[in-house]
Amino acid sequence: MKKTILQAFILLSLAAGIYLLISRVNWMKLFRIEKMTDALEQKLGDMVWAGMEEQSIEEGKEYDRVDSLVTAICKSNGFKRDKIKLHIMGDSEVNAFALPDRHMVVHTGLINAVHNNDELSGVLAHEIAHMELSHVMKKLLKQMGYTLLISITTGEAGGGAIKELLGMLSSTAYDRKLEKDADIKAIEYLKKAGISPNGFADFLYRLGEKDGSLGSLSWISTHPDSKERAKYIREAGR
Amino acid sequence: MSSTFTYHPTETEAEKASNSYLMSLIAIMVGFPLPIINLMATLFFYIANRKSTYFVRWHCTQALLSQLSLFVINSIGFWWTVSVLFKEDTQISNPYMAYVITVFVVNVVELGMTIAAAINTRKGHHVSWWFYGPLTQMMCKP
Repeated sequence: MKKTILQAFILLSLAAGIYLLISRVNWMKLFRIEKMTDALEQKLGDMVWAGMEEQSIEEGKEYDRVDSLVTAICKSNGFKRDKIKLHIMGDSEVNAFALPDRHMVVHTGLINAVHNNDELSGVLAHEIAHMELSHVMKKLLKQMGYTLLISITTGEAGGGAIKELLGMLSSTAYDRKLEKDADIKAIEYLKKAGISPNGFADFLYRLGEKDGSLGSLSWISTHPDSKERAKYIREAGR
Repeated sequence: MSSTFTYHPTETEAEKASNSYLMSLIAIMVGFPLPIINLMATLFFYIANRKSTYFVRWHCTQALLSQLSLFVINSIGFWWTVSVLFKEDTQISNPYMAYVITVFVVNVVELGMTIAAAINTRKGHHVSWWFYGPLTQMMCKP
């Protein structure tokens, strides 16, 4: 009996040893997985953005306002501001979203819906968190897969696939856990930037109430349970 | 490792004992990457032969025990792969890659051992694996 237990222990140790030995090799680098994903993300970002570029507002009062808030968050958190490609879109829909390769799109509808810069900063920090935590590519890889994404970049999937991809990123939510992760990170960013997360919570609460004065609420329809989020953001902000 | 059994098995016994290993081999081809298929095939063969002669029962038990541990290892790999494919917060990572390669290595080793055991038992030789052999000995009585 003792001998069998000893043999079981040796066998398990051997299996664990093989695993530990194999995990010493950087397989991600060996199979170029990270490099491939980065290149794919860059190409997708360029392609999606090329289709939206015409509607973009790249200067003016609204752009400067958002730009200064994004710069403040980046500066306080040690992010390179020039890595984020900020775009303001003339659209009445209350929406903001991140695209591959760090393109961040903010609708004028959102800028008009917020009551102050703290509220706007909250939404921006949330979108920056999605980018920093690589949620955009995680979502695309899960929902479309490597093969389809590669065929989009080579043009094999056709123009419709780009529209589908854009629709997915601008009008559907991330996984509940990823949304919460982005909220928690956003609070961290806001605190470091000296901005109260209460503004973000207030905005979410108002969206949760579905305030008629806010117009079309895309951002909220893609981010469920706003009141619950407002609650934990307020708690975490204390 | 090949050793002496308490008695010399007949031709029919040797064939049945060899088949218990072949069961898991056939199941590997059909079931991979669904790990439950291998276990089920060996389990059904074990149940069908639980009242058979000692030599046949002994080898059915050893085959089943080896498949049981393989089932655990493969199941972890299977569900990890499912979460990599379908969950947004799980990604391909170095630990995942290392685990998949480990699973592959373990399966290849087990495949080799199973083929060798199937050939040897078919010849009427008694094959007792390290750890699984003594464990089978404890569970399977004449």
